[in-house]
This record gives sequence, structure tokens and C-alpha cells, in this order.
Amino acid sequence: MKNVRMAHNGTDIIRIENLIFEYKREGEAAPDRAVDGVSLNLERGSFTAVIGQNGSGKSTLAKNINALLLPSGGAVYVDGYNTGDAEAVWEIRRRAGMVFQNPDNQLVSAIVEDDVAFGPENLGIAPDEIRVRVRESLLSVHMYGERKKAPHLLSGGQKQRVAIAGVVAMRPECIIFDEPTAMLDPVGREEVMEIIGRLHLDGVTVVLITHFMDEAALADRIVVMDEGRVVLDGAPSSVFRRADLLRKLSLDAPLAVELAERLRGKGFAIPDDIINTEEMVEFLCRSK
Amino acid sequence: MPVKVEDLVYVYSEGLPYETLALDGVSFEIADGEFIGVIGRTGSGKSTLIQHLNGILKPKSGRVFVGDAEITAKGVKLAEIRRKIGLVFQYPEYQLFEETVYKDVAFGPVSLGLSQRETDRRVREALSLVGLDFSEFSERSPFELSGGQKRRAAIAGVLSMKPEVLILDEPTAGLDPGSHMDILNMIGEIRRREGVVVILVSHNMNDIARLSDRIFVMNEGKIALSGAPAEVFAHDEFLASIGLRLPPVAEMMRKLRLRGVDIPEGVLTIDEAERALEGFLRRAR
Repeated sequence: MKNVRMAHNGTDIIRIENLIFEYKREGEAAPDRAVDGVSLNLERGSFTAVIGQNGSGKSTLAKNINALLLPSGGAVYVDGYNTGDAEAVWEIRRRAGMVFQNPDNQLVSAIVEDDVAFGPENLGIAPDEIRVRVRESLLSVHMYGERKKAPHLLSGGQKQRVAIAGVVAMRPECIIFDEPTAMLDPVGREEVMEIIGRLHLDGVTVVLITHFMDEAALADRIVVMDEGRVVLDGAPSSVFRRADLLRKLSLDAPLAVELAERLRGKGFAIPDDIINTEEMVEFLCRSK
Repeated sequence: MPVKVEDLVYVYSEGLPYETLALDGVSFEIADGEFIGVIGRTGSGKSTLIQHLNGILKPKSGRVFVGDAEITAKGVKLAEIRRKIGLVFQYPEYQLFEETVYKDVAFGPVSLGLSQRETDRRVREALSLVGLDFSEFSERSPFELSGGQKRRAAIAGVLSMKPEVLILDEPTAGLDPGSHMDILNMIGEIRRREGVVVILVSHNMNDIARLSDRIFVMNEGKIALSGAPAEVFAHDEFLASIGLRLPPVAEMMRKLRLRGVDIPEGVLTIDEAERALEGFLRRAR
């Protein structure tokens, strides 16, 4: 067995070292560099949001984390396993699962519970254990009642929850969500964000790629990407304070941050750490 | 051109176990130049409705008029309908297929049998409306463009048909906030310049509140509520009961009012919120 884990410090589940990823372009000599020297460590149990404009390299970065794409340069380690090591790929995929934007592209079976069993089956887990995991995973996304249904009869939010259950059933330590709510209606979005929040509370390391700033505001840490590089990295309150830079990068700030900024411009003292609606409401109620 | 819909009924999988009444007697009128927002949960009938307006689906019963022409009448050619009503689907860039942006945008006019000169004029006009520079983009492959540019090119392909009604189904899904805003501003600009009716289907309540003259709220195949944004979003409890949410600004204002903060009704946009909160904070000083 060659897939020896590198000695690594136990607090970081993901280590990305000077990652470069290039897409080959047909008929052109120069490849397209989508990720250009990214180094990031993600702490076990953390919740990190990745934001950036279309084409900034977010999704390419995410696909490098669970070995869907392999580095053109640099390295990615998942729990000590190098994604470049072909024999480690299943060790990596059982630790880092991925949920994509369109649930229709992720559901493969004609019945919900079969779909959730698909991942664990691929990992070679015993049938009894699979049954336990399918039940647990569907309960955790509030879809156990729909276990016998056909996925195409579910709403968008329900489908996405089934896709999440399919990943949860592999019991990964880390789940990467690539714009999981982009195609959902407002209630579907709430359902999915509630589940992501709870997985995080249960100790799962969460990486959330999103264009919704109010979703990014729920993370402990926000990484901002532009042209394949990390241009800003910090707590939501510090990242969202850089309103001018965010606007330049085709991003914006959550409503509460934007309102706070405008009111400061009118001469009112609004605390720096207000980033969501609840905090704004609390502050205004104290000012009554 | 005004649009009139009379008592549309549509049934999916008729006679099968999963038979669903997708449209249950939908009627409305849209005046010339109006901007209509359509909201509703997934499965509420929004997509079924707009596919009727474009002739993709034929109703079980009911009629659709665009101007004086009834597009649901027997013998009406689809090409005739598509000339009047342009439909931009979700993720329209998946339907780009030609080698160059020019050819893609020209596809509609060419299939209408228009002259080369008229086609060329329309391609130039459509690209200008979506903000893609003709000399920079017309000969490029649509597949080399960025996400936001691809979507503009796809929308130009609908505009080149010179529709009198422009229907857009979630035109900003998956775009970053900057491109999102650009596409919406572009839609506003097209409406101003061309005077078309715009029907915007969206889950983004902020966009719907900001842009619509009137909102149609769909639920279980019916228009459950319609009116100006401030009227519709005043029904917060009803909207919640059918799985919809208020625009983020209105939600913040609702929470403040519940806590006894004195905020006027009908505040929907960030500019209005700024003024309302400024007023409140001055009084509180």
C-alpha cells in the first residue's frame, strides 16, 4: 500500500499548498489557469464560505478538494492523504463529500432510499450498516417520510436534501457545497441552509460556495477569490467591511451591512459587527 | 402590446395516477408596457403558465391573446407566436450552439426568412441592447464567454426576434451579485427603449419588489393574489402560508415593527429602508 498518510497536524482537515490548476484549451498553446497559487488550511469542524465572481476559480478549487480534479501544480491534502495519490482517492472521497448546484444531476436512482444507499454501496459497506446509515441520513434531512418516493416527484429543495443525505450517508468529515441553493425557491433555500447549519453543529467541516451574501454571512470564515487567487480571507464582519473591494469584484454585502454603512454615512454610530438582519434589529431596538 | 389570458386550464399526465391540475382557471390582463413579476413556489404553475404564453403548451381550455391576435386559436403557426413573444428560459446559455455569437443571435431572424440586411441590423441591435460590443464579440465563440456574457448572448438571441412581450424565467440564477445587477439593469433598459411588456419569473423577492409594476402570486395552479408590490407584500402571513417569503428589506421592517419600532408600512427597497431607519434614529436621539 502506497497511500501512506503524510504526517500532519491534527487540527486541519484540508491543507491546500500553492495549488495551481490549468484547463487545457483545445487548439491553443496556453492553458487557462483557473486556480493560481492558492494556499489554505481548513480547520476540522470549521464553516468556511467561498465567494467570488463567476469564473474566479471557486468551483475549480472545490473540485480539487475531493480529487474530482487533480492539481497542475502544488498539492491538496485531505486528512493527510494527497489527492495526487491515485490509491488514496477513496480514502479522500469518504472524508470529503460534495453537493452540487443542480440536484437533478446528482440523483441516480428511481427511489429516494436507493439513491442515498448508492454512495455507501460504492464504499463497500455491509448491507445492514447501509440500512442504518440510509435511515439516519434521511432523518437528518427530514426526508425519511419520502424514502419510497421517486426523486422526480419531489420539489427542488427536497431533491437537494436527498442529494445531501446521499453524501451524509458516507459519513464524510467534510462536505463541500457548490452553490447548493442557486436553483431553489426561498423555502427550499431555507431548508437547505438549515441542514448545512446543523451538519456544522454536528461537527462536519463545511465549505460553502455561494453567490448569496446572506448565506456567506453564516460562516465562521469567508474566503474571497478573484482570478484564481485568494484576495481576502477572514471573519464575515471583517470581510464585509471591505465594501468597495467587494463591489469591484462583482460581489456585494448582506442587507444589514449595506444599511449600516449607509446610516454611518448619515452620521449615526452603528456597531462594526452587525452583519445580519437579527443583529440589526437587536441594535435598533436597543436605540428606541 | 397588451396580453389577455382567459380561464386557462392545463392538466399534466391526464388519466394517469399522477394527474395534476397545473393551471386551474388562470385569467389576467397585462397593459402595454407593464412590468409583471411572477412568484410562487416550485410546482405552483409558473413555468406551465409561461409555456402557454409562448405556445409550447396548448391549454385544455381557455384562451391567450396578444394584442388582437388569439395565439391559442387553431391554425396559428408557432413561428408567428414566437415573433410576438420571446421566452428566455432558465440557464439560456445551455442553448447556445453556433460557432460564433453572430450566428447564434442571427438564428431566429434567419429562420423567420428575413433578408441578410435585416438580419444583420437585428443582430447589431440585439447585441447593443444586451451590452455586448459588436466588434469585440460577434465573431467569438459563445463558449469562450464568461457566465454573464453567455447569458447576455443567449438573451440577444431572443431579442433579435423583436418580441413584443419578453418573458424571463429566473434570468439571474447562478450569477454573481455584480452580473445579477447588470442583467436586471439591462432588462430595465430594454423595456425603456423597446416599450415591451416584461414578465419576470423569479424567486428573488428583492428584484421582484424593486422592478414590478404588478405581481402575480401563483399557488396550486391559480393566481392567488395580485397587485402592486406594496399591496402584495403587505400579505406577509398569507405569503408565508403558501411557502413564499418577503423581500429581505420588508422582512427586516416586519421584525422591527413586531418589536415596537415605529416604521411606516410598505417599505420594500434598500433606499426606502435607509430613509425609514434614518427617520427612526433621528427621533430616537
